[in-house]
Amino acid sequence: MSGAVSTAAVRLAAREISHRFGPRVAVRPVSFDVTSPGVVAVTGENGSGKSTLLRILSGLLRPSRGESTFEVGGQAIEPRRRRLFTGLATPELSFYEEFTAAENLAFAAETRGLPNPADAVRDALEQVGLTPRADDRVSAFSSGMKQRLRLAFAILHEPSVLMLDEPGSHLDDAGRAVVEHIVQTHAPRALVLIATNEPREIQLAERRIELSGRGLERSS
Amino acid sequence: MPNAASNSAGAVWSVLRKECRTEWRTRYGLNAALLFAVASLTAVSFAAGRLGNRTDIMAALFWIVLLFATLASMSHAFVREVEARTMLLLRLVATPTEIAVGKLLFNLLFLLVIEAVTVPLFMVLMGAPPVRWGDFLAVLLLGTVSLAASSTLVGAVIAQTRGRGALFAGVSLPLLLPVLAAAVGGTREMWAANSVAPSLRLLGAYAVALLAASLLLYDHLWED
Repeated sequence: MSGAVSTAAVRLAAREISHRFGPRVAVRPVSFDVTSPGVVAVTGENGSGKSTLLRILSGLLRPSRGESTFEVGGQAIEPRRRRLFTGLATPELSFYEEFTAAENLAFAAETRGLPNPADAVRDALEQVGLTPRADDRVSAFSSGMKQRLRLAFAILHEPSVLMLDEPGSHLDDAGRAVVEHIVQTHAPRALVLIATNEPREIQLAERRIELSGRGLERSS
Repeated sequence: MPNAASNSAGAVWSVLRKECRTEWRTRYGLNAALLFAVASLTAVSFAAGRLGNRTDIMAALFWIVLLFATLASMSHAFVREVEARTMLLLRLVATPTEIAVGKLLFNLLFLLVIEAVTVPLFMVLMGAPPVRWGDFLAVLLLGTVSLAASSTLVGAVIAQTRGRGALFAGVSLPLLLPVLAAAVGGTREMWAANSVAPSLRLLGAYAVALLAASLLLYDHLWED
């Protein structure tokens, strides 16, 4: 759908990546090498740095130490261009409350330069079950509906790498089924990373990256 | 993959449209800016009457009204994104340069709308003498570009810092003083029937320098 979308193989690798915010260690050194297609669970205790790791891999955050590699079709993608190939749904993602769900997604689709923004928005809203509420302002949404909108935002451009951070949070059973459906439909052609500690979501993955530490340690 | 330049232009256009739509729905800055412009001009008009022969004071008053009517609103272009936690969404769909240029164009448009109301009101209420439109519009346009560029740049830089309000005033002041001095000087000379060329050169050079510095800096903003 998007010009930036590629069906080429994706490789995500980390070599001794770690990150700290001031004195606090956010991610302890971690190394891995994963390729598409497939589903990878990123697990670890609260504060072990799952969300921070996803931000590093998507190019939003530069690691304090170590290197991350993001390759599409054998070509290395520099951090600032990774967003083109990445769909990220994270609890930190907020939308314009004065816009409707469809308007928020249309803004994202148009800014990303998708060739058919209206079709992309319609498809994404349908996949997350928000079509009946497409024209409602986000300010009127419940937390579960906002979470569905985050999922729609992440899959809008059919990314090569789908990163889902706590995707089931705030969702009811129907919403969790939506998450499973999204993972299952994207897994055959994309690399799906799920940062979670939910057993039901971990079961969706074939591989696992386990982060150590609680993120509460301080080092000088 | 589509042409990168056309993609960037599309992203800038999309950010600009989003800003216009947000402003239209929330009237976040427009009402406050217009209220300030109308209220301050009316108050001065009541207190001092028409200032027809004091073109030096009028030139200063004109730019002070414009500056304060717009600055508070324009500085919020980025702060709003941080406070509404929508900066992440923006960063995921566009580059920092595309975001900042879109917001710069919105600030320019915002200033032009404020000026469309303020200039005629000023002329009438202050009893301004006839203007040399070519010179006046040149000073106004270059002053507007400089004001928009400096406030956008400072707004972008301070958006994710603590104590943004205090920082904005402190960082803006040295950037805005040359703009104000040249714009007030040019407007005064225009009314005194002198050449405005020196002021235009200064404003033009400053606008170009600000825009160039902005384009160089924007891509390195928000790198954690």
